[in-house]
Amino acid sequence: MTNPTNVQRSRRSGSGEVPLQTRANTIVKAADHATPLELSDITIRYGGGKGGAEAVSVVEGFDLTLHAGEMHCVAGRSGSGKTSILTVGAGLTLPTSGRVFWEGDSLESMGDDEIADRRRALIGYVDQGGALIDGMSALENVLLPAVPDGEVDQRRDMAKDLLDLVGLGRRMRHRPAQLSGGERQRVAIARALILGTRVLVVDEPTASLDRASANRIISILKDTTSDGIAVLVASHDHELVRLSDTLTELI
Amino acid sequence: MNAVQRFIRSKVLLLTAAILIAAMCLSVLVQSQSQAALNRTVDENSRGLYDVLVQAKAPSSSLMQPEIANGSGGISFEQLEAIRKLSGTSVAAPISLVSRVTQNLESPRLDAMDYLGYNAGLAGTATADQAAGATAPDQWPAAESVLGDETRKYRLTASAVSSDGVSEQTLFKSTAEGTLGKARLVEEQTAGGSSIRIAGPADETGIKFPAPAGGSEHNLFNLSVSLPMAPEITESVVAVDPAAERALLGSAGDFLSPLEKAPPADARDAGAVGRYLEGLFTNGISLDELEEGPDFLGVKLKYWAPLMTQYQQAKRNGQLTDDSQAIPLIVRSGTSLDLKYNVKIEEIDDAGKVVKDVGTVSRSLDKDYLPFVSKDPFVLSWPGSTDHSSLLGSSGNFNQGLYTPATWSTDFAAAPKYTDGEAAANGAEEKTAVPGEWVTVNRLPEKSANGTPVDQTQREPVDERSYRENLATGEQAAAPLAMVYGTFDPASVAAAAGDVNKLPLGGYDPTPFTLVKDAAGNEVPATELEPSLSATGLASQSAGAITDYYGLAAARGYTENASVIDAVRVRAKAPGSWKEAQPDVEQLAGEIREMGLEATIVAGSAREDASIFVPGYSKDDAGKESALGTVQQSWVRQNAAEAVTGSLSGTNITLLFLTLCGAALLTGASTVSYIRKRRSEAGTLRAMGWTQGRIRRWVLEEFGVGAVLLAVAGIVLSLASWSLSTALVSASVLVLYAAAAFFAAQQLRHRDEIDQEPQHDERLIPVDSPLTFANRQLSTNKFNTLSLAVAVGVFGAAAGGLAALLIDIPRAAGASALSGLAAASVALPSILLALAGVAVGLVLTLVTGRFELNAKRQYLGILEAMGWNPDMLRQVRLFENALVGTVALPLGVLGALGIGLLLAPYAALWAGVAGLVAVLCWIPIATKVVQ
Repeated sequence: MTNPTNVQRSRRSGSGEVPLQTRANTIVKAADHATPLELSDITIRYGGGKGGAEAVSVVEGFDLTLHAGEMHCVAGRSGSGKTSILTVGAGLTLPTSGRVFWEGDSLESMGDDEIADRRRALIGYVDQGGALIDGMSALENVLLPAVPDGEVDQRRDMAKDLLDLVGLGRRMRHRPAQLSGGERQRVAIARALILGTRVLVVDEPTASLDRASANRIISILKDTTSDGIAVLVASHDHELVRLSDTLTELI
Repeated sequence: MNAVQRFIRSKVLLLTAAILIAAMCLSVLVQSQSQAALNRTVDENSRGLYDVLVQAKAPSSSLMQPEIANGSGGISFEQLEAIRKLSGTSVAAPISLVSRVTQNLESPRLDAMDYLGYNAGLAGTATADQAAGATAPDQWPAAESVLGDETRKYRLTASAVSSDGVSEQTLFKSTAEGTLGKARLVEEQTAGGSSIRIAGPADETGIKFPAPAGGSEHNLFNLSVSLPMAPEITESVVAVDPAAERALLGSAGDFLSPLEKAPPADARDAGAVGRYLEGLFTNGISLDELEEGPDFLGVKLKYWAPLMTQYQQAKRNGQLTDDSQAIPLIVRSGTSLDLKYNVKIEEIDDAGKVVKDVGTVSRSLDKDYLPFVSKDPFVLSWPGSTDHSSLLGSSGNFNQGLYTPATWSTDFAAAPKYTDGEAAANGAEEKTAVPGEWVTVNRLPEKSANGTPVDQTQREPVDERSYRENLATGEQAAAPLAMVYGTFDPASVAAAAGDVNKLPLGGYDPTPFTLVKDAAGNEVPATELEPSLSATGLASQSAGAITDYYGLAAARGYTENASVIDAVRVRAKAPGSWKEAQPDVEQLAGEIREMGLEATIVAGSAREDASIFVPGYSKDDAGKESALGTVQQSWVRQNAAEAVTGSLSGTNITLLFLTLCGAALLTGASTVSYIRKRRSEAGTLRAMGWTQGRIRRWVLEEFGVGAVLLAVAGIVLSLASWSLSTALVSASVLVLYAAAAFFAAQQLRHRDEIDQEPQHDERLIPVDSPLTFANRQLSTNKFNTLSLAVAVGVFGAAAGGLAALLIDIPRAAGASALSGLAAASVALPSILLALAGVAVGLVLTLVTGRFELNAKRQYLGILEAMGWNPDMLRQVRLFENALVGTVALPLGVLGALGIGLLLAPYAALWAGVAGLVAVLCWIPIATKVVQ
């Protein structure tokens, strides 16, 4: 059983960081809320169902206020609850207790459809390993979030720009199986940004990547913050931890 | 770790082998139980009272007409004896239609109570106290009468109505008027003193109907009004060999025992018999003899009185000749003829105006009626009357009954003729009755009993359609005298013949007709047709009497052994079921055929309803003919047992095979699923330097353990059921399992192209909606899509097969009574097997649906994380399943059609529809389940 103590420390990012020189300002909406994501007194427990198994407390009393343009890293050992915090923040799972606010609105008062709609507009979620859909090209994967709003054609150029942005302009017709792990991760980030996301939630973006690929990902993430996008990242990558504005270390 | 250990470790393989073995065991068990029930039902019902029907002319089709006694004869007594001498013959019972006999009912009368009380001086009452059961004079009740002290004028309207079960026909209506009043005692001086007699009031006119009816008269207890004659009734007579018939019928034939004691032909002189009985009457007869009947050569002739009076009447009319013989008869109890006699009584004034409706009284011929005897007088009672005749005690068995001798005709009706029509899907045949001539019935006799002319205007003759062929055979015989030896109950004979394998006995066990459709072809409530008065209509009741072959010779005029036997019903010595006795019965039939006779094997037959259209049944006043409609009658379907067993056994085996095929397919799917999970293991082994062949052997060894288990189970099952079909089905399942194993092993081979997928094809449909997304996913995972589609198709085909079975089992079994029983005996197991097939199909869809369940969950999770709302995710699932369903539809529908054609050809279309519906239903169900 894990009973972590949340240790939170803050530091502002250094001024020496180089902002991403892209057309990001044309494709990323300006932040219109100072705290797009806020987690309050979050507790997450698993188990304790009908089988009589004892409930496992993963996270207890976790608080987080994520500001626009800020990158917050949740670090900790495996199984410490990093991914759980991210999925709760992205509204994919509900916490056992505590509240999640998106731009000041509590998820408690929202239905499934509204959560999905708000998530589409607010959150870009990048799964561990950059989960892509097999059988679809990188470009099609990036365009998938635009399907619900019927904006696939309108966003096609934007998707290409984003793939250019993450350095995959030449591989946009390749399928996931034809991409390396780092490339898949970058496609996933591009996909997360396609709808003008204001919060990027990224799970272990550099795991299993070589240092060069990892640095490339970290660079992209860092650059997005300069466009006012808040980044919530779970990682135990020292470089990522180092470059994040704020840090929560789960023990 | 050896192969067995690995097999046990790999729970999937162990589980699938266990499921397959369990499915084999259960299916074989259900199938063998079903087959046993079927065989038992068929065996129990496959042999009737006889095995071979011998006729001069064989039936033209395998559906045999039930009328085997038709008067056409064709078999001689020498041939009968030769049949009896065959080593395989147990019983050979001949039967012939003898004659058509017409007889008038005794004169009906209306009795109005007019009782004057006890008077010792009145003739008839003086000896009343001496009769058995007579009431003592001082206990006789006071006088009472339904008539008035003063005479009143009455109008009596007599009518008779007959019904054929469909419509009623008034046979006559006759009216008479007159005054009636209470009787009085009149004392008259005679030479020896005075006497008392009963007389009507002085101003009473009485009531008299036209001749041959008499008038009215007062007697001891009643005023009796003689009523118009009832219509003539025609009965048929059949001849049997009483001993052989009893052997055929068993205890149900005991009613024939008196006939066995009948005197030989040279001791049946009608004059001598009549004189003997007349002597009994004139010389006195004891009370015991009155009760039981006088002894006549060892048989108590209970109904001797009508015979005596008929003898006297025939002698008076000069009907009897020196050659006339008394014919011993066992007569039928009761009648199914619907004949109702009504008398309406009205009190009227001098102007004929009705003053008071006294009432209408009715009487029908019923179960008490006896042909040739008429046990009780045909009396109707005036409303309010009480029968005081019992005050005189019992008169024993001295009821005059019918006093007019019957008229015997050799121009009798043979069996109806039919033309063949179409056969229904289940083999049921349609036929059309061939109408014969119109026959005039309802005539009055030329002369009354006392020889006076009869007023013919009071009766309107009726034309009735004959569906039978008149046969004039033999010579006109001397008028015979009916001598009643006993009675029989047609219902008990019919019961002895059984139901399912009911075989026609001939004449005295006729098969009823039931009207099911009117002339326009519309269905009507089932109505059994009643026999007509003339016995020339389509329906006939049981023969009025049974005699022996001496009786036949006397009635038909044959003086020597002629070929007068219509049919011989032969029971073989071979015991057991039809299956067991078949070789012996077939040999016996072959030996009979060698005699030049037609021998139809009826063992293994069952009754079957034939639909018969009846044209030209009636005509209106303008002479326009109308059809009756369609009637049904039980005929005899030859080889029904064989057909039923063959058809339903085939269905059983096919079902077993299909169910196990489904189970094997399920095993295959599980195997593929298992193997796909072990690809990484194969990769590790390959990395360790194992060759492709070694990896395959390594896996196949595990399957080999399962195959051995299956083989052992198959051998045990085959030996236990001792059935070749089980062995074949088990072997087929084993082959399917092995094929699945080899296919699965093939899946383990290393394929370089797996990671070398081509670059994205721009010709693909762009993904811009849940539908196009679902389409892309399915086209990307073709193997999974096809596997699932095949599984859904199997499910649809199984559902179609089940529907076809439900619809078609009764039809497939045929239309005979045996098929109904047999189908009922296998219906439940068959449906269980089919349901098992459907369940297997459903499980198969679940197994194949889980092939890439994790991948599916993953991409649904990705979509959810990207903000696709629940409705869109549901659409993705729905479209995926709809597209799989679209691919599965042809397989499901064609598979269902194929199974339908195999199991139930006539329900194949419905099977296809059921397959379609099943696949369509699967789509939303699967969508819900995947959620």
